[in-house]
Amino acid sequence: MLIRLRGGHVVDPVNGVDGVADIYFEDGRIVAPPPGREPDEDHDVSGHIVMAGAIDIHSHIAGGNVNSARLLLPEMHRSIRARLAGTPLSTAKWSTFETGRLYAQMGFTTVVEPAVAPHHALHAHLELGDVPIIDKGALTVLGNDDFLLGALREGESETAIADYVAQTVEATGTLGLKCINPGGADAFKQNMRAFGLDEIVPFYGVTSRQIFKSLQKATQTVGIPHPLHLHMNNLGIAGNIETALATIDAAEGLPMHLAHVQFYAYGVDGKNAFSSAAPALAAKINANKNITVDVGAVMFGDTVTISSDVLRQFNSLSGAIPKKGVIFDGDANGGGVVPYAYRISNYYNAIQWAAGLELFLLIDDPLQVFFTTDHPNGGPFTTYPELFALLMSAELRARWMERLPADVLEMTTLPSINREYSLYEIALMSRAGPARLYGFADRGRLDAGSIADIAVYKQQTDKAGMFRNAAYVFKDGELVVRDGSVTRYTKGKTLRVRPGYDRAIEKRLDAYYDQLYGLSRSIFDVPEAALAGRSRYAEVACRK
Amino acid sequence: MVETSVEAMSNATLDGKSISSEDAYEQAAKILQAANFPLVAGLGADVAGAQAAILLAERLRGAFDHLASRDSLTDLEVVRSAGIFVTTPNEARVRADLALLVGSGLTGYWPAIFERLALDKETVHGGKTKRRVIWVGPKRGEAKIEGVEVETIPATEAELPGVLAALRARVGGRPTALSAAATKKLDAAAEALKSARFGVAVWAAAGLDSLMVEMLQGMITELNGTTRFTGVPIGGRSGATGVLQTSAWMTGFPPRTGFGRGYPEHDAWRFEARRLVESGEADAALWISAYDGEPPPWEDADIPVVTLGPPGAATKRGLFIAVGKPGENYDAVEFAQETSSMVLRRAKAPAELPTVAEAIAAISARFSEDLPC
Ligand SMILES: [Zn+2]
Repeated sequence: MLIRLRGGHVVDPVNGVDGVADIYFEDGRIVAPPPGREPDEDHDVSGHIVMAGAIDIHSHIAGGNVNSARLLLPEMHRSIRARLAGTPLSTAKWSTFETGRLYAQMGFTTVVEPAVAPHHALHAHLELGDVPIIDKGALTVLGNDDFLLGALREGESETAIADYVAQTVEATGTLGLKCINPGGADAFKQNMRAFGLDEIVPFYGVTSRQIFKSLQKATQTVGIPHPLHLHMNNLGIAGNIETALATIDAAEGLPMHLAHVQFYAYGVDGKNAFSSAAPALAAKINANKNITVDVGAVMFGDTVTISSDVLRQFNSLSGAIPKKGVIFDGDANGGGVVPYAYRISNYYNAIQWAAGLELFLLIDDPLQVFFTTDHPNGGPFTTYPELFALLMSAELRARWMERLPADVLEMTTLPSINREYSLYEIALMSRAGPARLYGFADRGRLDAGSIADIAVYKQQTDKAGMFRNAAYVFKDGELVVRDGSVTRYTKGKTLRVRPGYDRAIEKRLDAYYDQLYGLSRSIFDVPEAALAGRSRYAEVACRK
Repeated sequence: MVETSVEAMSNATLDGKSISSEDAYEQAAKILQAANFPLVAGLGADVAGAQAAILLAERLRGAFDHLASRDSLTDLEVVRSAGIFVTTPNEARVRADLALLVGSGLTGYWPAIFERLALDKETVHGGKTKRRVIWVGPKRGEAKIEGVEVETIPATEAELPGVLAALRARVGGRPTALSAAATKKLDAAAEALKSARFGVAVWAAAGLDSLMVEMLQGMITELNGTTRFTGVPIGGRSGATGVLQTSAWMTGFPPRTGFGRGYPEHDAWRFEARRLVESGEADAALWISAYDGEPPPWEDADIPVVTLGPPGAATKRGLFIAVGKPGENYDAVEFAQETSSMVLRRAKAPAELPTVAEAIAAISARFSEDLPC
């Protein structure tokens, strides 16, 4: 069936389009206007903005740690309304089903869960399989695993480490690699309570720097399109700007993605010895084109922090709101779940909010910066519309700033920044950039051949309202949202890469598991049969 | 003469008499669809079975519970009120230089416990050390582990809460109400806990109550002030932990959740299976116990009950449909105690029996059209 979206304002930065145009699609793909054929279905979308479906590059939506948060905090997600027909569990708050519905309603069609522990990959995929409509991807966490740390201690070859990385990513069915406080989780098991870039993991004799550099290199070597996704040391600590700057230097020009950098943009100025260092970080990012970042913006409200940085989460337990948390020492990283409330009247929280916005506004290239809140760590993904609105209006920001504690404004440059994102820049940051970052050739764009994942928003001055409720969303060419409501489910795919490697590593790993755990390594497999049709994989090509 | 008719092969019975699978599914669908507030209980199932069962409860606007919810909720109450420190049995195996075993019957709740924890071997991660093993409140003669010198702190079941409270107090340097001799023994244990590099407490909620688990976790929190200490919980029977996890991502809540209002509401008292049946609030039930055919906990249900269980577990009353044993008769995903993760168990003895999910799908396929999706 040929469908036409007629007369909308198309914003498609990949193809340099920013103006009124018609979009045609058929059998789930965008097609060139077919000469001499009338569309079978025609939607008048004049007065609307037409973009590719948005892609969230970093959002904790599935897996054991996310599930622990659900069980920890029943009081935070009481449901209040019945669902529509055809959408089972779509109003069950914090459920996988609600996640799919809420993302779709905002015009998001692809979301990446960034922290899958190899030994818990099957669990993560089972959850992703129960997220309807949207396509999913994930990142595999390495960097606190004994096999890698032992290999580095023994001075093993880069080839061996590359084989290990490629095998682990393939076995866990993900889009690449994330490294979370490299060595820090293991050091915490050995009773260290802080862990910096050049500190040594006891017993292994390797530093954080060595660990992530080896993973960064391996990621490049095996041709995974997404560069190493790094959660740096010292998250959330005053003065950690030094860690961030040094980490960027350590990348030595090679591609690397830094996660939720707002949490690393802190100086020690002012009477509270806590200030925004976002300008320095933004300048560094502007000067290092090999670096991409997502912001991890803080939005005020109650939330829960979910992180595989178990050391950091342990340290934040004392500030939990309400006072409870889960600390899980996993086989490698593990994780911590700690509830928290960001308050506009709290000096530290207000600095965090301002620092996040400064990063968005001071990083010049929208292809280098992504719009996350590190859901749910800085705020839930449902705050993205408000975030977009803040980026698009200096006046709106000024109104919010009036409500901040007065001394905050002296410790941030936010009041002096007039930049306002255009819709084109929003589309760059939320469509074109993410597709490029993950190597998606047919997403985040609207030219012929691309997947017909399309979001249509009614033009209005209330930008948050515009992005909160898409007028139409098409997933693989099927209408799934009308006027901000999901009316039926479709089944999304799970995107993965399959980097090549020398199969000899498998024998070595088999022996390693036998010896260490007295268990067959295959117990941790993620066979497609286990997903029983709930998840369908789609492959993203690796670089040759 | 051996009965080999299709009827007998169908593995379905009504009030003890063999009926065809087709009739059984048809009947089951009628019973469940006719109910105002049906209960899906037992839930002794693999992940796919639990997914199907929870979606069924949601579609019918009923409630669901697991047969070992009491044990899951014992730990969960502590999580929800104070939080928890946990690790995997494998991490304990490779790293824990001290194991504090709590309560009796641990090998009953988890037969392979000592094979997995390998306490007789030295630690591997963080350096090689011999382990120290302290067992609080074992049954007489129970505290024997091959190749391990087990120190015991005696406590009967009734004494265990007091002993745990006293141990926690001594870890924190606070006084206890115990005798000087008993306190001295506890002091030695407290000292051992504090000097562990990476200690683990191992317990089975089935043998404890929430207050004891909370005391244990409170002590672990204190120990983490100066060293590393964490816990290894032993989960409930019949797939309890896997079902708990599945329930959490599907609904946000553990079992004992109802959908009467069209969205999930969790209430450990209101949606307890036995109470719902005995109070008459549930007017039909689907009882699932695919692992071992455990019978329902309620007395004399006078409501229609559909049972899914292994072939040997046919009920004298009501409708029974045989299903395979997960991971035994069919490939099944379940939560593995030994890895503390979801795993695929390959069938060791494949059988021509439906899976729990297939049986539920067959029932659901026979609902009349006026039941919306
Ligand atoms: Zn994150």
